Amino acid sequence: MKQLPFVLSVFALAAGSAFAETLKVNGSTTVNLPVAEAAEILRAEQKLDIQVDTQGGSSGGISMLGDGLVQVGMLSKHVSDDDRAKYPAVKFNEIHIGEDAVALIVSKDVWDGGVHALTRQQIKDIYESRITNWKDVGGKPQRIAFFNKEPGRGTWEVFAHWTYGSPKDAPQVSFPEVGGNEETRNKVAGTRGALSQLSSSWADGKKVFALGIKLDDGTVVEPTNENISTKKYPLSRPLFLLTNGEPQGAAKPLIDFVLSGRGQDLIKKHGYLRLKDLKEP
Amino acid sequence: MTRALSWLFSLIALVAIAGVVGLFAWQSVPVWRQEGWGYLTGVKWFFRQHQFGALPMIYGSVVVAAVALLLAAPIGFGAAIFTAEYLPRRLRLALKILIELLAGVPSVVYGLLGILLLRDWVYDAFARFDPLSGDTLLTAGALLAVMVLPTIFTLSDDALRSVSSAQRQTARSLGLTRAETIFSVSLPQAKAGLSAALLLAFGRALGETIAVFLVVGRQDNNLPASLFSLRPLLDPGQTLTSKLGGSETNIAYGDPKHWAAMAGLGLILLVMTGVVTLLGTGFGRKSDA
Repeated sequence: MKQLPFVLSVFALAAGSAFAETLKVNGSTTVNLPVAEAAEILRAEQKLDIQVDTQGGSSGGISMLGDGLVQVGMLSKHVSDDDRAKYPAVKFNEIHIGEDAVALIVSKDVWDGGVHALTRQQIKDIYESRITNWKDVGGKPQRIAFFNKEPGRGTWEVFAHWTYGSPKDAPQVSFPEVGGNEETRNKVAGTRGALSQLSSSWADGKKVFALGIKLDDGTVVEPTNENISTKKYPLSRPLFLLTNGEPQGAAKPLIDFVLSGRGQDLIKKHGYLRLKDLKEP
Repeated sequence: MTRALSWLFSLIALVAIAGVVGLFAWQSVPVWRQEGWGYLTGVKWFFRQHQFGALPMIYGSVVVAAVALLLAAPIGFGAAIFTAEYLPRRLRLALKILIELLAGVPSVVYGLLGILLLRDWVYDAFARFDPLSGDTLLTAGALLAVMVLPTIFTLSDDALRSVSSAQRQTARSLGLTRAETIFSVSLPQAKAGLSAALLLAFGRALGETIAVFLVVGRQDNNLPASLFSLRPLLDPGQTLTSKLGGSETNIAYGDPKHWAAMAGLGLILLVMTGVVTLLGTGFGRKSDA
């Protein structure tokens, strides 16, 4: 059982020594957008060789860093205690680079049908299949086509945290699953009565629409930058780059760049909140 | 010398196959220990609760591959009869090369075509049966049909060509028409080869991953109440390959039971495709004799 990761890491070491300067980055598709663009700039300006990949989302980033297959992970969630227990020899070092909000998105027919916000209880009812038709939450009669983000995605973990307190307390359900942000957006856009969880910056308001959250007192909070930075909008998550110990070698210029003014502008360009935005009340 | 070398290389191939099967079997030991045969017959897969039942995925793989064969076999056989029995040799070779080129198209390209065309078509064409989305077992099966078509065609064409022309001439000189010759001489004579074509195509359909992954919906635990209803074909499902290609493989890493369950899926897939391919090759052999 334990041998396979070892064998793989031997291969990785062998490959790593042959191309010593190749920096390998893997993880969340959400973080990938600004980081891939940063890598592009560093490739052109500093001739750094950086490969950015998004296998398995945040969990893939953690496990591949844990196994030494990549030098930098991209995460849209914290490293859990379970992850740390799985890789006791690895010193996971989270570097905060920005903030993102998770929106519940619906297709155009649902939005036009009058559903613009849901309460937490309604979302729970949909997730546990007690509500299966939009007419029960104020929309037109149409079956709810719920696409669940696949396990391991940061988006899902934020959703489960807010809805159930912890991903572990979320009930086991079987819905059609979606992976990366592009897939989620396209499937929701192309399906009648669709609902899914998606990084709010991807909700364009043309094909897919971000629902507001109706709080207990009846007010509706939209996932706007202002509401996210003041934490009024409850479904937000930190974005991290992850290293094993202090960043070394080619990882250091990448991380320095992402934290610099230009790097932070890339974060903003892709619809996330910069560190600066978070400090301002 | 040549003989010794060929023995050596055969041995290497044999050891490699045994090694792969052995590795998957060994990696999946914990799940067999926990679930027993229930691993094959269980209908619930909830990895956070360490509940592993693979039946819905075995069902998904078999159904998707069966749909592919049902759709592709008539077209493949028909095309093969046309090229093998009617076309002059040069034209036949040109057409064969063209269709075999289709077999070389990377599966992800087919998958993207599936997303682009097939998914929306299934979603709209079957709207009156109210499918939840365009991701269905039928979509995956139809996409696979296109992918296995070259396999069925080219192997059937070979099988028909291997029927000796002396037999055809005899049939014609007895007064049979061309069509009668095909149905009472060529097809019966090529039966074993045609079966082999189907089985090998089935094996390929079972193992195909990325194209299926993109359009099958990836919904766990969706075993239909009745195996004899067609409606479940319009529901999303999960195949062995779409499960293995998904994010769970990354999550399972480091959790021995969960990893064993994923390795077990690999073993099931390996055995299924292996048996089907062996049967197919066996049939092919018989037709040569």
